[in-house]
Amino acid sequence: MSDIKINESSQVEDKAEEKEEEKDWAAAKAFFEHLKTNKPRPPKPGFAVTIAVSSRTLFNMVAERLIYEKEGVEKYVAYQVEHENEPLKPGPAFQFVKALMTVNARLRELYPDSEELFDIVLMTNNHAQVGVRLINSINHYDLTIERFCMTGGKSPIGYLKAYMTNLYLSKDADKVTEAIDEGIAAATMFMPETENELCDNQLRVAFDGDAVLFSDESEIIVKQRGLDSFFEHEKKFENKPLAQGPLKCFLEALGKLQRKFYAKNERLDCPIRTFLVTARSAASSGARVLKTLRSWGLEVDEALFLAGAPKGPLLQKIKPHIYFDDQMFHIEGAKELGTISAHVPYGIGQKYHRGKLIEQPKKE
Amino acid sequence: MLLSSTNQEEEDDEVASKGGSELFAVRRATFLTIFLFSSVTAVTFRVFFTRLRRQRVDREAEMVSTVANVDVKQKDADHALVVAISCSAVLEDADDGDVHRVGVAFPLLQALQSVNRHLVEANSSESLLFDVLLITTDERRQRQSARIVSSTKHYGLEVSRFCFSDGEDFVESLLENQVQLFLSTEPEEVALVWQRGVPSSLLGHQTWSSPSEQLRVLLCGDDVIAAAAAESAQRFWSQLGAMRRRFGVLGSPVSVAVMTAHGGRRGFADALATLRSCGLNADEAHCLAGAPRGPILELLRPHVLLGGGLR
Repeated sequence: MSDIKINESSQVEDKAEEKEEEKDWAAAKAFFEHLKTNKPRPPKPGFAVTIAVSSRTLFNMVAERLIYEKEGVEKYVAYQVEHENEPLKPGPAFQFVKALMTVNARLRELYPDSEELFDIVLMTNNHAQVGVRLINSINHYDLTIERFCMTGGKSPIGYLKAYMTNLYLSKDADKVTEAIDEGIAAATMFMPETENELCDNQLRVAFDGDAVLFSDESEIIVKQRGLDSFFEHEKKFENKPLAQGPLKCFLEALGKLQRKFYAKNERLDCPIRTFLVTARSAASSGARVLKTLRSWGLEVDEALFLAGAPKGPLLQKIKPHIYFDDQMFHIEGAKELGTISAHVPYGIGQKYHRGKLIEQPKKE
Repeated sequence: MLLSSTNQEEEDDEVASKGGSELFAVRRATFLTIFLFSSVTAVTFRVFFTRLRRQRVDREAEMVSTVANVDVKQKDADHALVVAISCSAVLEDADDGDVHRVGVAFPLLQALQSVNRHLVEANSSESLLFDVLLITTDERRQRQSARIVSSTKHYGLEVSRFCFSDGEDFVESLLENQVQLFLSTEPEEVALVWQRGVPSSLLGHQTWSSPSEQLRVLLCGDDVIAAAAAESAQRFWSQLGAMRRRFGVLGSPVSVAVMTAHGGRRGFADALATLRSCGLNADEAHCLAGAPRGPILELLRPHVLLGGGLR
């Protein structure tokens, strides 16, 4: 009898919470609809593709970071407050965010009542005082960011989950690793040395294959048993789908939005384009990758098999707004030639650098 | 025949005069009785009503009595941040024993004490401290006053004053004691106190009630702009801000968070600017813009929650 009561009471609590959530959502919707400036309102988190960007990926805060590291947090906060009205320069994720806004505009045209849009949240460890400069900078560039999470020093992981984040971009490798461990797609962003001219009406996202879209199972074979073993293994298991990697869900989310354009006959003019850029070769190990994607019901617009050739020049041609790879070697190559790259710290690739095993410091 | 009639007349007269004087006597007696009776009644009533009035005056004096806790050093009321907590939130009824059980506000009270400790450690003559007052808001609780005092002593609670009110005038006593923050588990009490202009927080399912190292205050930004008109709110924010500034950016025993639930970044920026102009710099700030607040509140775990549609 008491069990039934407990269930009932928790059901009642859940219902009450749901009602409160609906009230909040309705109030927010009403607020934005009554704004005279016609600002697009943020979508409902459960339906949207939520991208959380940190302050250092959205804006260039290299100089400020130096102050933080050399002079401590108090001086850093004081400096930021002093320069509050100076807009910050764009950071590595800036172009990506602008491209997301472009896609949203197209989606709103085709589906005015849909909540299936990109939702951008500024997720930063900074204190609220520093936040004022961030808000001023966002105002300056007129970015559509209406959700903010300034944790004042606390870990953002809990908040990422609370916002049902689909992708987290940060400059802090520790936080990114933590997010991946918790099952959230995340990557550490790097600013390229030169800036390529990017497409302003299409979002272009490039992914590495192994240990990014797929698990690192094949990568392990390469590192531990060599390339020949790898080719044999892939041929043998061509029809067995690979396990999924940390960014598979993000590709899936992009695919869902792409299909909305296809449904309205916009396939040729789709403002989202996805690329697979893999060191695998089309002739041998490539088939397994394509078959895996097919088994997941996912597709990429362009699959590029490099058979071991350097990725940098090809990426320079593709000009993606973001390129995900698990190996720093490739990231560095991409950076040199102007590609905005994001490192996914996942899998066995982290223990190696340029093919050699890194000495792991003894754990105390 | 005529003689007898005269006699009759005389007899009649005699009777008449005798009757007249008798009537007068009766009338006189009646008047006297009525007079005596009414005066006795009047006196009785007067005595009765005087006693009644005296009783009511006594009761009025009893309705709110503020008692200082002699075990605790009294704070300087002009500089301290006076916080009143409803008794039932701190001490719950226990059927047996002389001592109450601890209530949901107990960890909050400990957090307030922890902040005071840190403030005094940094500066032994600090006067900007939390000045805690326990207040009863109903007659039943008022009658348990002795037990409340002994429970407070038992748990070593740093309560400077007790306000034993039986209900009707508890808001008045809050104002008399210059209370700047009122905390209670009863929504009606919280609403009533807010109406009189004193910031108050509902303690319950949205606030944190487990032991913690840090006092966490959450202000709902949507209401901050509206509340900014009230002098009491401004004073509270500026004192809280001053208290927060006694500690560094990291590792502070008190943390202030701001959350806007509905509006976009403009309202968010305005709320931060308004608080800053009152001298309060938030540590954490969240702009939800319609996102569900439940998961965020679970992470913020505030002890005190001001605003947010809970009034």
